[in-house]
Formats: sequence, C-alpha cells, structure tokens
Amino acid sequence: MRTFALAAPMSVFVSALAVPALAADDAPAVVNIPAEGSVSESQGLEAFQRIYEVASHPRCANCHVDDRNIPMWSGPSYGETRPHGMNIKAGESRIGAEFLPCQTCHITSDDLDTEPHASPRFGIEWQLAPVEFVWFDKSALEICEQLKDPDRNGGRDWMGLVDHLIHDASLNGPVLWGWNPGGTREPAPYSLQQHVDDMIAWGIAGQPCPTE
Amino acid sequence: MKLTVNGTEHDVDVEADMPLLWILRDELNITGPKYGCGVAQCGACTVHVDGMAVRSCQLPASNIEEGAEITTIEGLGQPGSLHAVQEAWVEHQVAQCGYCQSGQIMQAAMLLDFDPDPSDEKIDAVMSGNLCRCGTYVRIRAAVKSAAAKLNEA
Amino acid sequence: MSRAGTIARRTFLIGSAAVAGGVAFGVFAAQRPFPNPNLDDLPKGSASFNPWVIIDSDKVTLIATHADKGQGVFSAQAALIAEELDIELDQVEVSFGVPDRAYYNIAATDAMAGYPLYDNSPTAERVRGFLGGIVKLALPMMATGGSSAMPDVYDKLRHAGACARETLKLAASQQSGVPIEQLKTARGAVILPDGTELPYTKLAGLAAQIEPVTRAKLRDPKEWRLVGKPMERVDIVQKSTGTMTYGIDFRTDGMKYAAIKVNPRQGGAMNSYDASAAQAMPGVDKILEITGGVAVVADNTWRAIQASEAITFDWGPAPYPAEQETHWKVLSDSFTEDSLNAEARVVGDVEAAEGEVVTGEYRSPYIAHAPLEPLNATILVTETRVDIWTGHQIQQFVEQIVAEITGIDQDNVHLHNMFMGGSFGHRLEFDFIRQAAEIANQMRGTPIQMTYSREEDFAHDFPRHITMGRGVAKVKDGKVTSMDVQIAGQSVMRSQMGRMGMSLPGPDAQLHEGAWDAPMFNLPNLRVRSYITQALAPVSSWRAVGAGPNVFIYETLLDEAIHAAGADPLQERIRLMGHDVSVKVLEAVGELSSWNGPKVGENRGRGVAYGFSFGVPVATVVEVVMTGNGIKIDKAWMAADVGKVIDPVNLENLAEGGIVFGLGHAINCEITYSDGMAQQTNYHAHEAMRLYQCPEIQFRALENGEKIRGFGEPPIPPSAPALGNAIFAATGQRIREMPFNKHIDFV
Repeated sequence: MRTFALAAPMSVFVSALAVPALAADDAPAVVNIPAEGSVSESQGLEAFQRIYEVASHPRCANCHVDDRNIPMWSGPSYGETRPHGMNIKAGESRIGAEFLPCQTCHITSDDLDTEPHASPRFGIEWQLAPVEFVWFDKSALEICEQLKDPDRNGGRDWMGLVDHLIHDASLNGPVLWGWNPGGTREPAPYSLQQHVDDMIAWGIAGQPCPTE
Repeated sequence: MKLTVNGTEHDVDVEADMPLLWILRDELNITGPKYGCGVAQCGACTVHVDGMAVRSCQLPASNIEEGAEITTIEGLGQPGSLHAVQEAWVEHQVAQCGYCQSGQIMQAAMLLDFDPDPSDEKIDAVMSGNLCRCGTYVRIRAAVKSAAAKLNEA
Repeated sequence: MSRAGTIARRTFLIGSAAVAGGVAFGVFAAQRPFPNPNLDDLPKGSASFNPWVIIDSDKVTLIATHADKGQGVFSAQAALIAEELDIELDQVEVSFGVPDRAYYNIAATDAMAGYPLYDNSPTAERVRGFLGGIVKLALPMMATGGSSAMPDVYDKLRHAGACARETLKLAASQQSGVPIEQLKTARGAVILPDGTELPYTKLAGLAAQIEPVTRAKLRDPKEWRLVGKPMERVDIVQKSTGTMTYGIDFRTDGMKYAAIKVNPRQGGAMNSYDASAAQAMPGVDKILEITGGVAVVADNTWRAIQASEAITFDWGPAPYPAEQETHWKVLSDSFTEDSLNAEARVVGDVEAAEGEVVTGEYRSPYIAHAPLEPLNATILVTETRVDIWTGHQIQQFVEQIVAEITGIDQDNVHLHNMFMGGSFGHRLEFDFIRQAAEIANQMRGTPIQMTYSREEDFAHDFPRHITMGRGVAKVKDGKVTSMDVQIAGQSVMRSQMGRMGMSLPGPDAQLHEGAWDAPMFNLPNLRVRSYITQALAPVSSWRAVGAGPNVFIYETLLDEAIHAAGADPLQERIRLMGHDVSVKVLEAVGELSSWNGPKVGENRGRGVAYGFSFGVPVATVVEVVMTGNGIKIDKAWMAADVGKVIDPVNLENLAEGGIVFGLGHAINCEITYSDGMAQQTNYHAHEAMRLYQCPEIQFRALENGEKIRGFGEPPIPPSAPALGNAIFAATGQRIREMPFNKHIDFV
C-alpha cells in the first residue's frame, strides 16, 4: 500500500505512484490506495452506504437539485425541509445569472468561517452542481447509478471521482466546506478523509450498487 | 488598503475579516448602506461592487479586489440629481420607514442594468432577498416598472 | 356605582399612581395651555407664536412632535399646520422639536375611557374629556402610540397654523398700515391689496413683539389646498437617496461605538463573565458592566459586536417558565373565575340561546417587533448636561429615565428625537435607553453609540403576548344567533407599565379589545370574557396590541359559525352589523372585490374578516389558491373608514403595508422559548412576508366616521382571519393557530 498526501489534483499523482510519499502536513486528505482485489464486494457496499450518507446529507444534497434549479434548505439547522427562502432561483445557469446571482450573498472567499445563519461561502464560485448530478431526494441506488454513469458524473471513472474530491477540497470548495460548514450548520457525516477512503474502496471493489 | 467608493479613493486600515458594510459605515461614515441583520437575510446593506449587487455585510475586506469600484446609494444619485430608480421611488412614495430602501433601490438598479424590461417573475425573484418590514412591496413592484419605463425612454 | 363613576375612579387611580396629589386641581386647570417651550432659547428676531411654529429671518420651521416610525406622521403634521398657515411644504423646515409637556397627547387616553370608540354619546365624550384632563394634570405625556397621532393633532395643528397666520397678519397690518381685513396670505407671505408680498420671514422680528393670536376660526375643509389631496412626503427624497439620518446613522466627533450582551433569559441575572479574550481584540476600548450584562466599547460597531461575542457568561435562570409548552399550559389553565379579567360584553343569553353548536380553540403566538433598524441610542453625558440621539415614542420618559441614571437634572437632559427604521411598538420600551445611558454615564465626556446586534435585538425583544381563545357559537335557521368568546392571555399593559415603574389598576382592556367592541348589534346573544394569567415572558405592545389576536379569534369563530349556518360570509357579517359606518365598509370591500361568495374556482377561495380597532372599522377580503406546493396568496382588498383622509397616497401605502404585515406574520412568525431563551435569533426564523408572496392589493378609504382616526394599526387585525377564512374556502382546512405554516405550506 502506498500513501500520498494530496494537496493538488489527483491527476498529478496518478502518474507519480512510484514517487516516495509526500508530506501530509497541509493536505486536505491523504490517498491510501489498497491493492486490487483487497476490497470485497460487501466491503465496497458498506463503503457506498457511507458515501450515500454523505451525498444525501443536506450539506451536499441541498445544492445537487433537479432541473427546477431551486436550491433546498433542509437539515437540522433549518427545521422542516423547504426550498431556499427568498424565492431563490438559480436558473439554467445554476449560478443565478438569470435572476439573483448566488454571489450576491455567497461571497467567494477562502475564509470559510461564517456566522450562524449567514450565507455560507467557500473558495470557488457558489453554484448548484450540474443538473445531471441530482442527489436531492434520490435513493441510494439512484445516486450509485448516477455516480457510476460517466454521462451523469462529468465523465469520470472512480479515480476521477477521487481526483474531483481532492481537487475541489484543495480549492477550499464545497467538498471541503461540507465538513467545515461554519455557523451552527451540521457538517456532512464522517470526514473528508473517510469519504475519500470510501470512494477508493468502492472503486477498487468494482463500484457495487445496493439492490434498492 | 485602498478602497474606491463612489469614485473617491480612501485609505483604510482594518482587519481582513471586517465586512465592507462596517468599513463604509463606521470607518468612512458612508451611512446609506444599512445594518439590518448581518447575515444576508435582509439586503439593507446592498451596494454595487463593479456593477454587481452585493450584500456588503458578507464581503470581508480581504475579498475586495484592489481597484474594485464600490457604489453605494449615495453614489447612485443625490437629491437634485436622482437616478431613474430613485425618481420612481419618489413618484410612487414607496418608503414608509425607509430603512430598507437603500438596499431595495441598489438591488433594483442592478436588475434594470442587466434587464431593462424585467418580467413580473423576474422582479419577484430578484427583489425577494430584500426584506421590507413595513410591507411596501406593492409599491416596490410598481416603482421598478416605472423606472424601467424611464430608462427605456432615456 | 354607575358606569361613568366606575371609570372615573379607575382613571383617578391611574393619575394618582403616576403623580400623587396631581388630581386635586380639578378639571378647569386642564384647559389652560402649557407655556410655549420654543420661547426658552429663541434667538432675537425670531418669533414663535405657539409650540408648533417658529419663524426667523431665514426660514419657517414647523414642529412635528409625533415620532415617525415610517407611518408618515411627520409629513402629515407639517401639512396640517401649513394648510392654515398658507405656506407650501417645500418652503418650510420640519423638526421633531424638543420634548415638552406642551405637546402632550390629548387623544392617547381616549381608548382607556371604558367606552367603545364607536360610542360618541355625550356621556362617553364627557368621560374621555375628563380622563384627558386628569392625565394632562397628572401625567402630561408626549407619546406616539395607539394610532392616536391624527386624533391628537388634527384640530390643534390647524389651529396653531391659523393663529400664527393671524399674528403675522397683525404684524403686516402694523407695518403697512393696511387694515387686517384687507390682507391675504399665500405661499408664506402676507399679500397687500396692491399685490406687494411681505414674506413671513421678514415679518418675524415685528411679529415677535406682538401678543400672539390665540383664537382663530378653522377653514372649511372644502377650501383646503393640501390636506386630503395627494402630497409628496417631506421625508421621501431623503429616504430614496440614503441621506436620511436615522438614529443608527448619527455621527459626532469623538464618538465611540458600543455593543452589549445581556442575559438572553429576559430579566435573569449575570452570575459571572470572562472578558479576557474580548479585552485583547482590535479596537476594544473598554468592557463595562451594565444591568444584567456587559457592554463592549470600541472604535467601530462591528469590532464591538465581535468582541461581545468573545465574552463567556454564566447566566442565571429566567424569571418565567423556561419552556414554551409551559406557557401554553398556563394559558389553558386560566379559563377560571379566579383569573377573570373582565366580563367585557354581555348581550342576551348565550347559555339559553338555541341552535347548532360550533366550537373552536384558537392560538396566537409570541411575535417579535424586529424593526429593521436594530435598537440603538447615542448618548453624551457630561458633568452638567446630557444629550440623547435616538428615536423614541415616549420622549419625556426617555429624558426622565436618563436623568435618574446619570443624576443630571432633567431640565438639562435633552432628547433629539430621530427618524426610526420601524418600531411596531419596540420603541415604546426603555431598556435600550437605560443600557446606553449606563454605558455613557461610565464614559462621561465621550459620546457613545450603542447598537444591538440583530441577535441581541431578537433576544431582548418584548414580543406580542401569547393568547388563547375558546369560542362557542350557535346557529339557527341559516343565521348566527350566539357567540360566546373567552380569551386568556397575560396582561401586556401590566408587563409594559411595570417596566416603567407604574401599575395598572383594574382590568386590562387589551385582553378583549377588538372582540368586545365589534359593533355587531344585530347578534342577539354575545358574551365576551377575558382572563388574565400570571406574568410569563415579558411582553409589549405590538402593532395593534390586543386587537391582533382577538380579532383573529373572534372572526375565525364567526366564520366557522357562518359556514355551519350555510350563510354567505360577507352578507351575514353585514346582517349582523348594526353600525352604519361599518356596514358601509363591508359593502365597499364587497364591491371592490366583486364578492360573489367564498368559493371562486377549483382550489381557489376567498375569506373576509372585519376588525374594529382604534376607532377604525376595517374589512379585508383575501383570495388564495392551493397550488401543488402550497397556498399562494393571490389578491387582497381592504376598505376602511378613518373619518377624514389627510393624504390618500400615504393612507393607501399604510393599507397595503398593513395587509402585508398582518399576513406575513400570520403565515410564518412566532417566538418560542426554550431554556428561557427566544429560539428565533434572526430573520431566517422570523421572516414574515417577502416580495414574491405579496398579493395584488386594492384599497378604498371611506370618510363616514364622525372623527378622524389614525391608521397605523387598524389594517393589521383583520388580515390574519381573512387569510385563514380564505384557506378554509379553498381547501376545507380550518386553521385555528398562528403561524399558519405550522399547518399548511405557503408558496
């Protein structure tokens, strides 16, 4: 098993697997790639269950919404699930360009700390995830199939997904923010490290999906 | 840091996380932008940064780019030289307490800058982030339409 | 004891509670005016003929003392003076003036006289006049509240304008030798027969030598130039350009900024605190103890707030039940003889009345005022004088309280009243004044601007009282024949007056206001009883006060009864109404909305409600449609009778805003307590209405009422029941509890 600390996109490291381990100090997460065949299908399914818990968590799912393009407010800090207040419509642009730009309130900033109930912010432009990546209100099976489908996951294999996580986190993007949401927001479950580990384990196991 | 507000350059010395709202109000004494909620729930602090409406209570000093043009309600128009949106606000006598209206006007000005003939749906979407406790929404809608007509004539 | 006797006794108690012995001088002295406060510091060459008009060689200043929280009274007061003074609003300056007993509110006590405000009988009027006289002697209070500003100033400001005009004419006559009968006035000048204009400003010096005219005949309203016609509010340009200076915008040399943290369990103690981290934060000047908490003084409001949040506290418990559930339990246990506040109205016999029985239990929650400008006050204390810059509705009490805190003689304490970014009743309270004064008193010589963070503002609001209603109605032969209404709540007035160091002897009329005085004289059986509970969370007057919850209870029960009777909601209300002015209001809203019954299409319904508060009958119709995602409020219509319209544009704005305010809070606002603290900390949890939810609104003003009335509050009460009744018509779901979004979604 090799261990790498990834502070930069995965693509840099995939071609550098033979290079000695890098310092893990400032990295958002460390990539531990186990040997082929070392993760059973049932372990892969367990890993996916945790991935699902993350993907369906309000910190992630609220902005992975369908083609109505309306972000959601749900989770413990909101009480009842409802569409984002203030009649917010992100439009087909998914950044609010047709109506009120998300950035009117959600400032792009590397300073992730925010007041309770303030508009959260992170290091890249605030936006909804692409419409194909819909997670909100979707079952574990539906999200699993979506994540495996290059037409609906940005053309990525499982390593591409890991790469995406690391890349986004390195930019102080929503992936990193999901576990450091500031204010009184509930973070996504587990941790970024666990999520990366699970994505790898699920990939090595052949991306198995639950039956329902 | 240097800050250009309504065409005038200012030198300010503040912490990286001090929001623009408080730089304007308490460091530069530009009090048109109002403090209402501090968390982007009310929109009373809305200003333009390079032509885009922004809730100034959410914009930390460290994220204001060098050379950015900041416009507050005072820079939009003054008594005697009103902006078309302000003219419409006066004609429709929109304000009651008036405290939210700086933000409403700045938001409406940007809306019309980008879309000179907004649909009702669009007005309802763009203007719903600005809270008015007195409930002047009927007149805000009417004033936005009047302002659009004025701008289109001009 | 006769009814008038009982009331007089109670009013004497109010008077003597405030100033011992003040009532002994009798009523006669009450008719003498107080001295004109403008004369105290009047520069040479300036003239002030009465408390409301000052003229010097440069300008004419009109004094508009009623506080303006957005309702437009600043402009309306100026218009009333200018109408008779023959000057245009663009020729004058308007000022809030200085707090003085000369400006005491002659109408504020009308509602306390124990007679419904539609009762203009000689007895009722005598009691009101008597009460007003006593209050003037005992407690001449300059106050804006209870929608009383217009009734207070309607005659006296026009009279002030007329007297000033006649004095100026006297001066002009002396100067020119032209007999006064031949002089005219217009646009701020006396006009001689040959057309020569003598501007008022040029006559000021001479006029100041003349004994001012004190009696002048008021013009026939038919001759009015300004009043009754659309006017441009004198504050509208400032409020559209960011140039209006609200209290929070006040700046003065050497000023420092303060934020506070006070026990969020209202009235609880501060056991200990640790401010070591805060002390070291940028810009922090001082950390001071104040009653119940700590203040941070810094060189910027944001730094003060940041530092205040870095202080850790050990707070004591709340002096009221910690959990919301207990508050409701207290109310539901209070429908007992022992807790009876008043049997406010008994007509016929509700017990003996026959018919099908309809019952309901209704709840109205705590709601925050949450004006958009967070409470703030700027105070400078020196060894000899105090200056206060803030917006407040009871000006002299501010000076009195600050005098007590600082030990500076009240004559040397000066309030400069400011425009307010809303109030809705919160600026009748004094905590923020006391806190700012305590800070400034510890920092003598430095002006201190204390501002609540929004979170502190929510934590330390004194919300509208919670109310529970129980009703039994009876219907027979297609008609409503009986209403038995019981209302339980804590006393707003006791809570509020208690914080002013006063007690309220006798019952609190706010607990049945809007229910006992609904003038449905054709209802043969009616009983309205109110019950008073122990003190719960501290509460305050919230726009429309008791009428808000009570009209919701009364009008929802009535609607349920009308439905059971199979009658039309509007026609049955008209039939029950025995008050002609109110009948016309109901008919007007029917015409305006083309009323044709509550069901107007699939998933679409209309509700009507009537409310009588502050002397104004208001009828509101709301139309909603049930969409796939929830209720959409589509349209609303309102008719109201204010007796006399001062400015139709401003009145329409108040009607529209009142509907939005009433509906918005009904759909999604409540304050709930847990661990003794308000759980709602900012607008995300107490949002009211936003623009996209705002219905189309049409309004019609009527002028059939005998007296002029204020319209700041009356639009509020019927909004919520009209909406609830519309939702029932559209969906069949009857909602008996606010906020309605606990039971149905809104889009």
